[in-house]
Amino acid sequence: MPPSIHPVDLIASLRQKHLTPAIVFLTSRRACDEAMESFNHADIVLPPVRQDAIAAALERVITQYPSVADHPLIPTVQRIGVAAHHAGHLPSWKIAIEELMRQGCLDAVFATTTLAAGVDFPARTVVITQSSIRKSRDFADLTIGEVQQIAGRAGRRGKDQVGFAVVTPSPYIDLGILTKGFTGHPESIDSQFIISYPMVLNLLKAHPHEQIQAILAKSFAQFQLNQRAELLERKLDTLHEQMEPFGPRVCTDWITQWQTFDQVRRQRPQRHQVRRHESPELSARFHFMTPGRVVGLARGRGIVLRQYRSKGQKNPMVSVLRLDGAVTECPASNVGDIFDRLFECDETPAFPWCSATAFDELSSQLTELPTRLPILPIMVPKDSEVLPDAIVQSLGDFPCPSCPSRPACQKDFATALRLRQEQQRHTKSIQALRASLWHRFQERIEVLQKFGYLTPSAHLTDEGEWARLIRIDHSLLITELIRAEAFSGADPALLTGVMASITHDNDRPGSFPRISSGMSSLLGQVRKLAESLSPYEDPPLLRADVAALAERWIADPALTWIGLCRSTTMAEGDIYRLLARTLEFLSQIHTLRATHPGLADTASRAIALIRRGVLEELP
Amino acid sequence: MTIEELEQLLAQQPVAVLHRLSRGRVHRHFRAGKLRLIELILQHSSQNLAGLESDLQALIAERQSHPQPPQPPARPAARATVSPPRRTAPRGGEPETTEAAVSLATWLEGIGVPPPQPFVPDPWQEEALAALNETDVVVSVPTGSGKTYVAVEAAKRAMEDNRTVIYTSPLKALSNTKYTEFSRIFGSDKVGILTGDRQENGQAPLLIMTTEILRNLLYDAASGEIDIRLDTLGLVILDESQYIADPERGVVWEETIIFCPSQAKLLLLSASIGNPQDIADWLTSIRPTACRLVRHSKRTVPLRAGYLHPNGKLVPLFKTAAIPSGHAGHLHPEAKRLFFEYEEETLPSGRPRR
Repeated sequence: MPPSIHPVDLIASLRQKHLTPAIVFLTSRRACDEAMESFNHADIVLPPVRQDAIAAALERVITQYPSVADHPLIPTVQRIGVAAHHAGHLPSWKIAIEELMRQGCLDAVFATTTLAAGVDFPARTVVITQSSIRKSRDFADLTIGEVQQIAGRAGRRGKDQVGFAVVTPSPYIDLGILTKGFTGHPESIDSQFIISYPMVLNLLKAHPHEQIQAILAKSFAQFQLNQRAELLERKLDTLHEQMEPFGPRVCTDWITQWQTFDQVRRQRPQRHQVRRHESPELSARFHFMTPGRVVGLARGRGIVLRQYRSKGQKNPMVSVLRLDGAVTECPASNVGDIFDRLFECDETPAFPWCSATAFDELSSQLTELPTRLPILPIMVPKDSEVLPDAIVQSLGDFPCPSCPSRPACQKDFATALRLRQEQQRHTKSIQALRASLWHRFQERIEVLQKFGYLTPSAHLTDEGEWARLIRIDHSLLITELIRAEAFSGADPALLTGVMASITHDNDRPGSFPRISSGMSSLLGQVRKLAESLSPYEDPPLLRADVAALAERWIADPALTWIGLCRSTTMAEGDIYRLLARTLEFLSQIHTLRATHPGLADTASRAIALIRRGVLEELP
Repeated sequence: MTIEELEQLLAQQPVAVLHRLSRGRVHRHFRAGKLRLIELILQHSSQNLAGLESDLQALIAERQSHPQPPQPPARPAARATVSPPRRTAPRGGEPETTEAAVSLATWLEGIGVPPPQPFVPDPWQEEALAALNETDVVVSVPTGSGKTYVAVEAAKRAMEDNRTVIYTSPLKALSNTKYTEFSRIFGSDKVGILTGDRQENGQAPLLIMTTEILRNLLYDAASGEIDIRLDTLGLVILDESQYIADPERGVVWEETIIFCPSQAKLLLLSASIGNPQDIADWLTSIRPTACRLVRHSKRTVPLRAGYLHPNGKLVPLFKTAAIPSGHAGHLHPEAKRLFFEYEEETLPSGRPRR
């Protein structure tokens, strides 16, 4: 059996069942292009009437966007009525395909899922061939929301009575993910509040430092943090109730008193024994492996059901509920990630360590966890201090051995201590949740003060006043470059090249056009600066080949778009996007005309030079 | 039990049991065929055959106690070669599942173009528009339900009031599409576009931009460089606002909403998400009026899911014609059988066929 259906057969069977027009989502751009190639000798041609309709529709698009005219795919599109639509194409081509699709001229479009969100055309049928998509550099399973977004393109309002989502297997498919995606409830979304340098500068420009905390408190991030804090507060309330029987006894703080006494009692005979080695990191982490906590193990994830110490070696251990419903015992050192997600867990003293209903609930919650979970930040404390000898030796000074409440203390101590520790932990977590955004903001302020964009009283310096206008990625690198006068005397081509290599964050390989010596020395400087800034801002890829490409487009006004594309292996669409984004960066630099007239002038000349050919024709 | 006996016993089990047995033992076991799976399981447990055996017995016992499979899976060796999912196939004689499962003809029923009828807005669309007269609105509906209609109507009403409308989308390509579409509806003099590298008709009453540009406008307004348009701003439409969860750009949506002038109404259009109520509650907590959530999960055009086998055979994916919401396990027996067949025949890539 072939690993997946042949594109020609696919289209033939869709046509036979009247399931066209269809969008076929494939794993990669390459798969789309290969699918188009496979139609070269196919005989499932359209009747002449429809071929003429496509030709007429294309004609209308070409009058608006001439660059579509000599696209190599046009013959296939016209003959078979299928097309490819992915990020490697020019926007004009994509507009043309969308237009054809809207008019109902095409039978199928091969597209990549990466653009599923950006595709703004529906069809009668959506064909899905994969259950994972490429995200930055890795493949990740589709989330329920993504599956529904993809399947949602099926069924055109007013043109279809029913829409169809057809799954066809390929080596990249896990049917379970897709069926769950079709039938499931979409995931909750979480705030992703990143505090960037331009945000700090712009906020401080408009509002005094004291008001910022109130503004941050209005964010969705804080709203969600508050929700979690409230949950903890409710837990804290119940803990408080549980603590009631353990109030003051003979001594007010009997828990601490007993703790010290107990510790001393245990420590004394063992003074000279070798202490079992347990890394402080492990002890700190073990502290968080409480029942209900989601943890990541070498294979899959699980929920902690209980934590305990092994009988002989007293190694820290946890019982974990695994994805398949099994309960496994595992040393705490095997736990890889501790996630920031805690479920309610009704503990019981015997296997399976929680009540049956809680067990079922946890199992289902475990399977429904989103693929990405935030990891709990855990601070590793310094080695815990051993009690000073003086206290150990003075065991006789403790009143405990002869205290009337000794039996009660001894009995309740374990529970009381656990409750109190939990209380303290929750209180700390609540504080952290309430203040974390503000702390992150403060950190950014400190960096900006260090570089001289902010005064010690958190007002904008002259440098800060202009730096706040650069509101793009890698803003710190760009403003530092401007301050270091890296661009003084640079011609538009050089400036564009550097900006292009800063904007480009894609690591798809490209060929290496020759790079000018001026550009390579400037890029060397930029790279050095980016590295020195890396503690404060992630350095960009700074690829030399994209810099050379952009430089060439500016430096040689006679260069045609086709000539530019021939000089590299990058896809047309990628080159277009690179230049369009560079244009955006340059126009940000252009806003500095009040403080850096020379640079702004270079930028505006570069903008004028970029806008030609295909880049002028399009929005 | 010797390794041979164990192998034989494994061969008698349905593949589903083997897959359950493989969890935690075999990596990517869903890619392997039955024979390969047995080999891999044995290979993994060669040091712990007793453990494997007890797990297997437990699974067999569990299956026998379950009423689901009509026949106990442990069958004489003669039937072991029959691939078990085939038993659930229509001709295998399992009346209750085949009766329940929908036929291809029923599944395909209704295909085609509906008779032309005058456009009548859905109740949720009316509800969203009515609510927008008084307060901010969050709309969370499935893809393709007609969010654009709400955007267009809301923009039309605000513009009749001589108010400026800003419409933002996350992608430049979408902005451009909407610009063309809105220009067609409202006339090109009424619509302007501002993106990172394009400015056209910037004084028009309906402005289309990327969300980043709006955020920058709001920054400038906050620091005193007031843009006159913000004074008359009556409505801000944030399309695809599920982007608020985007790891890199999500923060821009939050900033835009926080700094959005209070006299302007906010309309958040989003695809189906799990917690739209949270978003609405958040808006209520920071905006002057209580936000209204309009939620709707039924698609305007019903959706059906199918399975197309590489040999060209098309079958419904689920037992019912419509997608059984919440029951991922209700697969069509025929689709299940074909997919198992596919999985058994395609070995993990790069490995030689046995």
